[in-house]
Amino acid sequence: MHLDPFELHEPATVEEALELAGTLSGKFDYLAGGTDLLPNYKMHINLRPHLISLERVSELRGVSSNRIGAMTRLAEVEESPDLSRAYPGVAEAVREVATPLVRASGTVGGNLLLETRCFFFNQTYPWRQSLGFCLKADGDRCHVVPQKERCYATFSGDLAPALAALEAEVEVAGPSGRRRMPVEHLYNAAGDGILRLSLVPGEIVVAIHFPESARRARSAYTKLRVRPSFDFPELGVAAAVWGAAEAPEKVRLAIGGLETYPRRFDEDTDALAGAPLTDARVRTVAEAVTRRVRPVHNTFLPPDYRRRMTEVFVRRTLSRVRAPNGSVAA
Amino acid sequence: MASEASPYRLLGTRIPYIEGPLKVSGRAEYTDDLTRPNLLVGRLLRSPWPHARLRSIDVSAARKMPGVAAVLTGEKYPTTFGVLPITHDETALAVGKTRYIGDILAAVAASDELSAERALAAIQVDAEVLPEYSDPHVGLGAVAEPIHSRGLNGSNIQKEVHQHFGDVDAAFAEAAHTVRVRGTFAGVTHAFTEPLVTMAEATPDGRLTVWSATQVPHYLHRALSEVLGIPLHRIRVLKPEVGGGFGGKSDPLPHEIVCAALALETGRPVKMLLDREDVFLTNHGRHPTQNDLRVAADAEGHLLAYDLSAVIDGGAWSSFGTVTTYYNGVLAMGPYRVPNFRYHGRRVYTTKPPSGAMRAHGGTNVRYTIETALDELAEKLGMSPFELRMKNALPPNSTTITQFRITSTSFLACLKAARERSGFDEKFRKLPYGRGIGLGCGFYISGSNSPIHFTPKMPQCTVHLKADMDGGIAVHCMQADIGQGSNTLLAAIVAEVLGVQLERVHVVPVDSDVSPVDIGSYSSRVTFMMGNAARQASERLLALLLAAAHELTGYPAKQLRVREERYEVAHRPEVGVSYLEALHKAMEHSGALQASGAYTSPPMGGTHKGARAGTAPAYSFAAYVAEASVDAETGFFAVEKVWAAFDCGRPLNRLAVEGQIEGSIHMGLGQFMGESMNYRGSRLLNPSLLEYKIPTPQQMPEVEVLLVGADDPEGPFGAKEAGEGPLVAILPAVGNALYDAVGVRFYDLPVTPDKVWKGIERRRAEGTPWKGT
Amino acid sequence: MASRPLRTRVNGTALERTVPDERILLDLLREDLRLTGTKRGCDLGTCGCCTVLLDGRPTLSCLTLARSAEGREVTTIEGVTPAEGLHPVQRAFVERGATQCGFCTPGFILTSVALLRDHPHPSREEVARAISGNLCRCTGYTKIIEAVLAVGGGK
Repeated sequence: MHLDPFELHEPATVEEALELAGTLSGKFDYLAGGTDLLPNYKMHINLRPHLISLERVSELRGVSSNRIGAMTRLAEVEESPDLSRAYPGVAEAVREVATPLVRASGTVGGNLLLETRCFFFNQTYPWRQSLGFCLKADGDRCHVVPQKERCYATFSGDLAPALAALEAEVEVAGPSGRRRMPVEHLYNAAGDGILRLSLVPGEIVVAIHFPESARRARSAYTKLRVRPSFDFPELGVAAAVWGAAEAPEKVRLAIGGLETYPRRFDEDTDALAGAPLTDARVRTVAEAVTRRVRPVHNTFLPPDYRRRMTEVFVRRTLSRVRAPNGSVAA
Repeated sequence: MASEASPYRLLGTRIPYIEGPLKVSGRAEYTDDLTRPNLLVGRLLRSPWPHARLRSIDVSAARKMPGVAAVLTGEKYPTTFGVLPITHDETALAVGKTRYIGDILAAVAASDELSAERALAAIQVDAEVLPEYSDPHVGLGAVAEPIHSRGLNGSNIQKEVHQHFGDVDAAFAEAAHTVRVRGTFAGVTHAFTEPLVTMAEATPDGRLTVWSATQVPHYLHRALSEVLGIPLHRIRVLKPEVGGGFGGKSDPLPHEIVCAALALETGRPVKMLLDREDVFLTNHGRHPTQNDLRVAADAEGHLLAYDLSAVIDGGAWSSFGTVTTYYNGVLAMGPYRVPNFRYHGRRVYTTKPPSGAMRAHGGTNVRYTIETALDELAEKLGMSPFELRMKNALPPNSTTITQFRITSTSFLACLKAARERSGFDEKFRKLPYGRGIGLGCGFYISGSNSPIHFTPKMPQCTVHLKADMDGGIAVHCMQADIGQGSNTLLAAIVAEVLGVQLERVHVVPVDSDVSPVDIGSYSSRVTFMMGNAARQASERLLALLLAAAHELTGYPAKQLRVREERYEVAHRPEVGVSYLEALHKAMEHSGALQASGAYTSPPMGGTHKGARAGTAPAYSFAAYVAEASVDAETGFFAVEKVWAAFDCGRPLNRLAVEGQIEGSIHMGLGQFMGESMNYRGSRLLNPSLLEYKIPTPQQMPEVEVLLVGADDPEGPFGAKEAGEGPLVAILPAVGNALYDAVGVRFYDLPVTPDKVWKGIERRRAEGTPWKGT
Repeated sequence: MASRPLRTRVNGTALERTVPDERILLDLLREDLRLTGTKRGCDLGTCGCCTVLLDGRPTLSCLTLARSAEGREVTTIEGVTPAEGLHPVQRAFVERGATQCGFCTPGFILTSVALLRDHPHPSREEVARAISGNLCRCTGYTKIIEAVLAVGGGK
């Protein structure tokens, strides 16, 4: 399979990249690790005539205990002992991304901004043409929910929920300067697989920042997928708990792999603060969350199963982190 | 256990592949590694419609595009072909109609991929869309627009088989116990790592040369000749190294013919490498199947009858389908004695990618159906699954009711080894809830007795040997090593018989100009048939060498024995000559020595319609035990360990046999756990290695291989097949282990976690506890 | 259409040539340099047959632009193979039957060489995890894992 010709740009600084983005407005994609973009390009999905590679922007590199540069390879995060110790949930999520070979090239920023996925979208041009192009590429209809005029493609990144549960922030650079926001605010919570991000055109994810409090949290990530390698999440549950199991200060849950964006469930988990994290309370939250999620049939496993597994995975993930030693609270 | 003490020097040991050093260093040459000067790139335009009548294909614009050397459509080569002579229903490119999404409408040869793809995009196809038939059940009756004109009575039925042996109704009438199951099986595909690829070149001397990733160079040779209208002797087929086949390269495939046709059109070499999606669409994988089985047994557990009917989804073409339809029935005839048998099989065309032969062709789905039904029967009888099988095992030197000649069988030894090594009796129904152990057995042909030939009287395999002054021995044979180790076995047999070092033997790559015909790597025939032909050729060459040794030593050949690189007098070992001395002496008479050996399977089988299907000169047998654990909350399960007892007669290369068993278990587990060709209507949803779920290393169980076969009387050095039979037993072993774990029967493959979870929920809702849970 | 000069090292030898921007590393190796030991299995980053070492790290050459090799070191299976004989990992693959059809083998060798360099004595689980991005359809991975463990002195 070949790539259609494009012009590659290799800026050395964020500012240069933004300037290029301004000039090439609407005619480019940023290239981070390439493990998501290049397969899509080979399948002739939403091609642009220019690629701006962020590989040579040194500011975007590097991992420390409170910052991960967006162009850090997933494998580098995986191999960072400090980070793994500080944020076990993030370490678990990184280890579960795709395959070791994908993690060698794939980047943190790329995983955060992963294109949403759907059986009817991640296909070659002739395949999509033969069915009739869909909303998300070259067409005007949805093959998953035909009566609707929005896109249901699934957000399939593993890192976003893990970071969101820890209340990490993302630093973004754009034409009008830099800003920071909670990771989950990167995504459009209106639930659209096409208008999936809140970024303005040209904006670059620079880095992830962990608040001081994140180091005090116990965190975990549990991924549902058919195989223990290769596969994107069919459901990914991240949890973080601050404070003692008998009276946690705060509990956070974030879920990916189910809907068009990674979602946090503060309204459910806020009720868990201050009282012992008993099996019954964990189960109540797990059931409440399960009632809210709405997966559709555009991945390998059936949506009803993925929804029902939400309860199990939320319960299991919370149970793993509710106490320092994982034991059951009174 | 077979004795480790072998009467042979090489055979029976662990022989690393002779081409291994080339493979691990990237030096082995596969078709896509080859190139020719002035090479063109071939690309295919595939049908976007599942079923349509072609009104016109306008290629005029495409022909004028830069870099384009040729554009081809179907009408130029309308001759039909197919792997079975009785069901030629394919054309190289679609003629008149297109029958599935992926059917080839046109082909382009251009200077580069980009130019070729731009030309494809410029081709205008006008077609009338016809009804699609994705469900084989719909095609059982008359349909508005049959996919092929050869469908029976206006239906889409490609092949219907009715067989009845004994009196099944009477047997059921007197049965003490009966079991009825329906097994449904999604289609699975080979997913070899090397994509399909062909290179072809027509030269001014009037010859056509074709390099292809194929398991059946001879069948490809014939199909090229028939469709292109070129005599066989003007076509040269070469098989470079092949990156796996598993049946997926065992039909002559349309792209191979199209590539050759483009070479003829352009007078330039053309290479056609298929994308992975193309490979999925070419398919020829295992048939989606629905098996309805009733089993009757008497009060003591003796099997009385099978009553089996099947609906088999053939996809767009016949391929091996007529054989599949028979096999799905008659491969029920072992490893047990079944005195009454009725079978109604129907293979139905659908507007989907063609099904064909895949490892353990025709034997896998029916075996799962039977072995899980027998597990149910044993439970009804209150009998150990082992006892039930021992009671019904076919004995050696017996005949099935379908007239299959069973010579060697070590099935009882397989059962004994698997039972003892696994500790089955201590675990069965005694492990805690969520953990289970299960037995599954197998039986497979060791080479189809029916060659797909012009004249069935020709040998199925011929081997030529040439020994010259350098002391090397060249071996010529068209057998196709596709990774299973047949080159190594061929060399080892020659070295064994002649007593020479393995490194003296050179297996010459397949080249139809010099390789005598072997009909290819399918039906697990190579070890048995090529092995016998190689043995015969080697013994004939040895006779020439011993005659020379006789001249040199004065002792008659009968008194000489073969030692490493030496022929010596049996009772006076100090008297002898080296291999080279004997060779050079013999060459004084004739120059380079030559010898030839061939194998033709003996007459066998009954005279009823379809009697040849399933006949083989020998059969392999298997008894596998699997232990599995289930996460009852999620339905995820892990196969922890497999004890694989297998009867391949005498294993000639233990390393290769183990590799075949381990690989078969992996592939069988794939079909059980998650591999499936998923369709929406006629459209394949998962034509990629990402969405087609081949198990990962972490999902592979520990495998204990137990080789317990006794020598087969007709197999080369006592050997039988080990390439396909090792697959069939793993699926029911795991299915039965899951039942032992959670008390739920799974009859709908693949058994993905959601189905396990649903089954457990259903049992819970019914309020029937299992192992106290 | 844009092209620009690429300066890299391939198997220890400096390479300078002009490549189109969209050139994929796998194509550069196989088509331009005729280093055909690197295989094209799926072209979409799943099968791992195209694995090469980029600055020592196993990398999918089918999803890497040739430009990404600028100033870096590319090692293919040809670069791992000594002038005489075989690398210990290669030898173990042959002797233990870890190669059948051989098409995935160069990728597995490169992944294994890198694993054993960083973790000379891996456990069975570590090996299984390390190779879980390379697909083999023949061996069931059993003998591949055994071969890697054997080199690492494990069981």
